[in-house]
Amino acid sequence: MSDSDRDESGPGRIGRTLGRLVDASAVERILISLAALALSVVVGALVVLVSGFILSPCASSPFLATGFGDFCYDPLEVYWVLLQGAFGSTFNLAITLKETTLLVFTGLSVAVAFRAGMFNIGTQGQLVLGALATGLAVLWVAPFVPAGLVGGVVLMGVGLLAGAVVGGVWGAIPGALKAYADANEVITTIMLNFVATGLAFTLVSEVFKDPESQTVQTRSVPGNAEFPPSLLEVQDFSIFVLVGAILLAVGIFWLLRGTTFGYDLRTSGEQPEAAEYGGVDSKRMMVSSMALSGALGGIGGAVYVLMVAGYWQSGIPDLGFDGITVSILAGNNPIGVLPAALLFGALKGGSLAIEFDLAVPKELVGVLRGLVILFVAMPEFFRMIGARYGYGGDDYAVAADGSGADDASDADTDSEPDDASETDGETSQIDDSGLEDGGDGR
Amino acid sequence: MSFGRLPTDRRLLAGVAGLVLAALLAVEVLFPANPVTDVGAVLVTIVADANYVSSVLRLTVPIAFAALGGIFAEKSGVINIGLEGLLIISAFTSLAAAAALGGGDPNQTQLWLGFGIAVLVSTLFALLFAIVCIEFKADQIIAGLAVWLIALGLAPFASKVIWGQVNSPTIGTFNNWTIPVLSEIPFVGPVLFDASPMVYMLLVAVVASWYALNRTSFGRWIEASGENPKALDTVGVDVRRVRYTGVLLSGFLSGIGGAGLAIGRVGQFIGGGTTMVNGRGWIGITAYLFGNYNPFGAFGASFLFASLDALQFRLQQVGYNIPSELIGIIPYVTVVVVLAFVGRTRIPSAAGDHYESGEE
Repeated sequence: MSDSDRDESGPGRIGRTLGRLVDASAVERILISLAALALSVVVGALVVLVSGFILSPCASSPFLATGFGDFCYDPLEVYWVLLQGAFGSTFNLAITLKETTLLVFTGLSVAVAFRAGMFNIGTQGQLVLGALATGLAVLWVAPFVPAGLVGGVVLMGVGLLAGAVVGGVWGAIPGALKAYADANEVITTIMLNFVATGLAFTLVSEVFKDPESQTVQTRSVPGNAEFPPSLLEVQDFSIFVLVGAILLAVGIFWLLRGTTFGYDLRTSGEQPEAAEYGGVDSKRMMVSSMALSGALGGIGGAVYVLMVAGYWQSGIPDLGFDGITVSILAGNNPIGVLPAALLFGALKGGSLAIEFDLAVPKELVGVLRGLVILFVAMPEFFRMIGARYGYGGDDYAVAADGSGADDASDADTDSEPDDASETDGETSQIDDSGLEDGGDGR
Repeated sequence: MSFGRLPTDRRLLAGVAGLVLAALLAVEVLFPANPVTDVGAVLVTIVADANYVSSVLRLTVPIAFAALGGIFAEKSGVINIGLEGLLIISAFTSLAAAAALGGGDPNQTQLWLGFGIAVLVSTLFALLFAIVCIEFKADQIIAGLAVWLIALGLAPFASKVIWGQVNSPTIGTFNNWTIPVLSEIPFVGPVLFDASPMVYMLLVAVVASWYALNRTSFGRWIEASGENPKALDTVGVDVRRVRYTGVLLSGFLSGIGGAGLAIGRVGQFIGGGTTMVNGRGWIGITAYLFGNYNPFGAFGASFLFASLDALQFRLQQVGYNIPSELIGIIPYVTVVVVLAFVGRTRIPSAAGDHYESGEE
């Protein structure tokens, strides 16, 4: 009955959710992520099974022939080939690590925004424009720097900077729209993805197109600006960049946990009113956190150009969307992004093998991407089927770390023209904020 | 800053002004060689063209149906941000079902069957979303994102399984319904009385949705379920059932929109990139926010967005040599501009919240 009382006011939900969150230990969050992953794999296997049934009669001998139809794909074989495709050889491992490296950047990008209470679905657009800026900046500066290692390092620096700046500016736009015009950032970031893709395509096809190429792409950056393939001696992957990505993740972790900026950012995400009360300019924080998030996406784009492609091309893969899954799987924790990116990188690396060897479309990974997000979003499900902790009918509407739920309620808060009308909700939030800060234990 | 306190019509006016401004700005940037007035004249001739208006109506179908669905879900208290995914699923299913029933060349009956199956599948997807949100108390925004991403993965996956590529082969579309005599009226005739069945369904759905929301007890339940679920509970109406109905309706209506796009207009499923739906579900969300949860307002906003979408085809036909990709971003830019103007809509106060009946 007290539950239904609290259900009435939107903002009260934040406090309620975070109150529960205090009880959710890190272990539990990891368990939920793993359970979500396992369930996604099971449902993915069903999808494979059903699609093999739809496909029948099969091209080769069916894996399972029944009275009512044949099943062409063996899910266990699919996952086995996927695993082998991800780690089976040095070459495959390099492909996996290449994907992992890219996903660390996009995962971090989404995670930073999440932590600030914003859904950045626009990492894809920030990455696309960042990649273009990188390609163009490097091509533009290249004639002025010496060839060889020194020039290469300068060019890499210029490229990364250009990607970060352009991605950051593009990310700051939805941040500012949210802060000053209250435009829902989920929709604006998605719309800006379309705009970014269209803009970049037009710029390249009309102005910066490589005259010798049939497709829409820029000229290639000079060889010394590309990250050198190292360790595994496979093109398109450089261990230096992976190490850099790991250091960046640690850096972001430190930024969020160890600095005033990070504290303000997290508080704005978890307890906007409390942050405001504590003197944080929440509007400016929205802009700067989205700019940081966009910059990380832009660096992802820079790495895509400087490590993988060597030029900007139309049809850059969905790394930004994968980053959402990586971040959610990681509980939006920068360190957690590393294993999550490896896991997802393995799926992407292995997906090429299942398409090549078994003719199972590599888009299967796209299905898993969505399923993981769905299952992580419903921890209550795992509680119900798993151990009964005595949580019973309690509300636990929280995603990976609660910032997701915050945002949904954020929309509620925003809907009020004036904060004064929600006094009771606010009070409960501020009450809970003390609890939350203590309970979060850092 | 204080848009929320302005009356709805003022806000709407500001939004429209913003739209016009954005369009003019775009024109100015796009055609440096042609002064705005010149282009304005061309635009007027285009817009006054019955063909243009009927193509806008056809383009309005997926956006407006998604918007209508979104209204029911969100008013009942469940924010369904997965409308885009529902459009994708039904667009794909309609094509796959019609092609499976009729081989490469399904007849009208088979198309309609495919349409029905697509609407059913979309509704089932919405049911799944409803269960996840209502039974398992998932965060609605993240679950909605998941619906979109699952559809974005599943549709091209299934396309490749069935057709070996992410795009389907081309099949026929619904024949227009021509109403004798009335279709002879100049301008109005070809627009309203010689149109795709989807357009008729849309017009009926807009009126029916408005009626259901504003003149029936079901509409009052939907309203209460989103604004004050406890009061609804107190008078003995099951909040969960109302919310399930709201979400299922969003699946049903989005299903019509997606199937209407694929076999109502295009005759193909295109699964590359962001698929043929290409953000129309997200635009639909903006449309109902812009229309302030009123079906007529949502329809008007959808029509506006669709008219910008249609403009790109027409401008190219007229012979302006502008990169299509650049004109293609106009609707999305407009959505961002509109959102900046109408950001502070008043969403139902309990939307996004899980409701727990006191009896449990």
